[in-house]
Amino acid sequence: MPAVSVSHLAKSYGDMAAVKDVTFDVEKGEVFALLGPNGAGKTTTIEILEGFRDRSGGEVQTLGVDPSNRATQRWLRTRIGVVLQELAVEPFYSVRQVLTRNAGYYPSPRPVDEVIELIGLQEKADQRVKKLSGGQQRRLDVGLGIIGNPELLFLDEPTTGLDPSGRRASWDLIRQLAASGTTVLLTTHYMDEVEALADKVAVLFKSEIVASGTPTSIGGRDSGIVTIQFRLPEGVSVSDIPAPSPTVELGIVRTSTDDELKVLHELTGWAIDRGYALPGLAVTRVSLEDIYLSLTRDEQ
Amino acid sequence: MNTTASTPTGGSFQGVNDFKLIGRQVHYEQLSFWLNPLGAIFTIGFSTVFLLIFESTSGKSTIKALGGIKLIQYYVPGFVAYGIMSSCFSVLSITIVNRREMGLLKRLRLSPAPTWILMSAVFINTMIVCVIQIVLMLVVGRAFGVHGPANWVPFLLAVVIGMFCFTALGMGVSTVVPNADAAGPVINIVFFVVLAFSGLYYPITPGSTLANITDYLPVRRLIVSMQDSFNNIPGTSPWAWHDLGVIAVWGAVGVYLTLRRWQWAPRRG
Repeated sequence: MPAVSVSHLAKSYGDMAAVKDVTFDVEKGEVFALLGPNGAGKTTTIEILEGFRDRSGGEVQTLGVDPSNRATQRWLRTRIGVVLQELAVEPFYSVRQVLTRNAGYYPSPRPVDEVIELIGLQEKADQRVKKLSGGQQRRLDVGLGIIGNPELLFLDEPTTGLDPSGRRASWDLIRQLAASGTTVLLTTHYMDEVEALADKVAVLFKSEIVASGTPTSIGGRDSGIVTIQFRLPEGVSVSDIPAPSPTVELGIVRTSTDDELKVLHELTGWAIDRGYALPGLAVTRVSLEDIYLSLTRDEQ
Repeated sequence: MNTTASTPTGGSFQGVNDFKLIGRQVHYEQLSFWLNPLGAIFTIGFSTVFLLIFESTSGKSTIKALGGIKLIQYYVPGFVAYGIMSSCFSVLSITIVNRREMGLLKRLRLSPAPTWILMSAVFINTMIVCVIQIVLMLVVGRAFGVHGPANWVPFLLAVVIGMFCFTALGMGVSTVVPNADAAGPVINIVFFVVLAFSGLYYPITPGSTLANITDYLPVRRLIVSMQDSFNNIPGTSPWAWHDLGVIAVWGAVGVYLTLRRWQWAPRRG
């Protein structure tokens, strides 16, 4: 049984559809990323899965139960963790106080000191929340999400506003949680975050899923056009290069193909025959960001 | 290690006792209140400061229309009513708007703690602050020679109904204030203007145009019912049923507004 199962989910406010016909599964222990521009329906989808918002249509199961079912909602909430998009921590409590309070809501919480260590706030444990930097408050937010020792963690743009080291620390924490069996469903605008963390990804655009798959295969990324590039050897004219429509910019030759094996074979054979080294030779696939932008082009 | 999911049964789970949870939640509500000392002192000390100012400026003045009682004897019941209204209405509604817009209500809603526990703790905390204000007012009043309620039972009934009404109105008003920036100015300006026109700072002649208008409002009714239970004014009964009825109706309006418009998520979102 998947940790999350969404089938033809719909949510509308009056005539406006916030989510239309969304279908995806998140397997247990998986890190699943939901991508999409602002207003695409990511937060609405997550809120329905958390049981915070009711749906207008379709079927949803979170940890095997319908999240809108009031009879099992409390049971469900002991087993999920939520990190909201907006920073939401009381300013006057200390880090330890706010974590201790929230730990009391759960039947089997993580030890508070363990969470403080996981989020790297040992030095700030007794400091008031309002004295923390924005990044430290965001880490505390994540701490509140995991204090209940969740089986399923929802992270709505968890690293927005963090500096690079803070982002890396958050990534490490998410990897650690995933390695211990926690299922993670996250939304983000950062493609590097998806590539670093996600096992699977789905792109929401105009309230619908327009593509899904692994970060390396989504949108035909694993079978599409690749770019081959290298530094132009001295004394060679671009017209001599045995590759489809090569271009030269600042001494770098670039050529695109969907048959990289054949082009590479011809190119390297040609270089070896003539004694050229082809410095900086690299083959790059279309980036996840390129795929994302092409899938959501109307909006950009 | 994660907890192994078992078959969900009903809405409960083992390990967290609901009544202990209310106690804990009240503790944290109180902590939150007192950890902001400026806010706490301002909330609790405001009426005392007012009383000191009035006492120092009014001297031995009396009010003929109210049976010749000393002015300070008029102010103490009024400021007891003020204590109820400020803690249950203005402080509560501003707190709720701020929490909603900061996302704190949403976070609590997503925790396993049941809504009734979370809201009970907010109301109990409000009552504690309210009772502190009432007791402080009675003690400060006694220091100025003001006697306490002449009739305790009607006084306590008025306190309870007043708390219900203004808590409900505080919750209801919080649902119509759109954002945290507007909460303080909008709620306080309306609150203090209504207080002034309802006879907190000076007596309003019964039957006057102002009294006829403000008689429809719970603020005036609570001040009057406090006066009646305190002062044994000739021609009035300590049992201010009509006043309490009007206050209760306004409480029902607050409950209706809250149930119709309540939301846990920030409006900005």
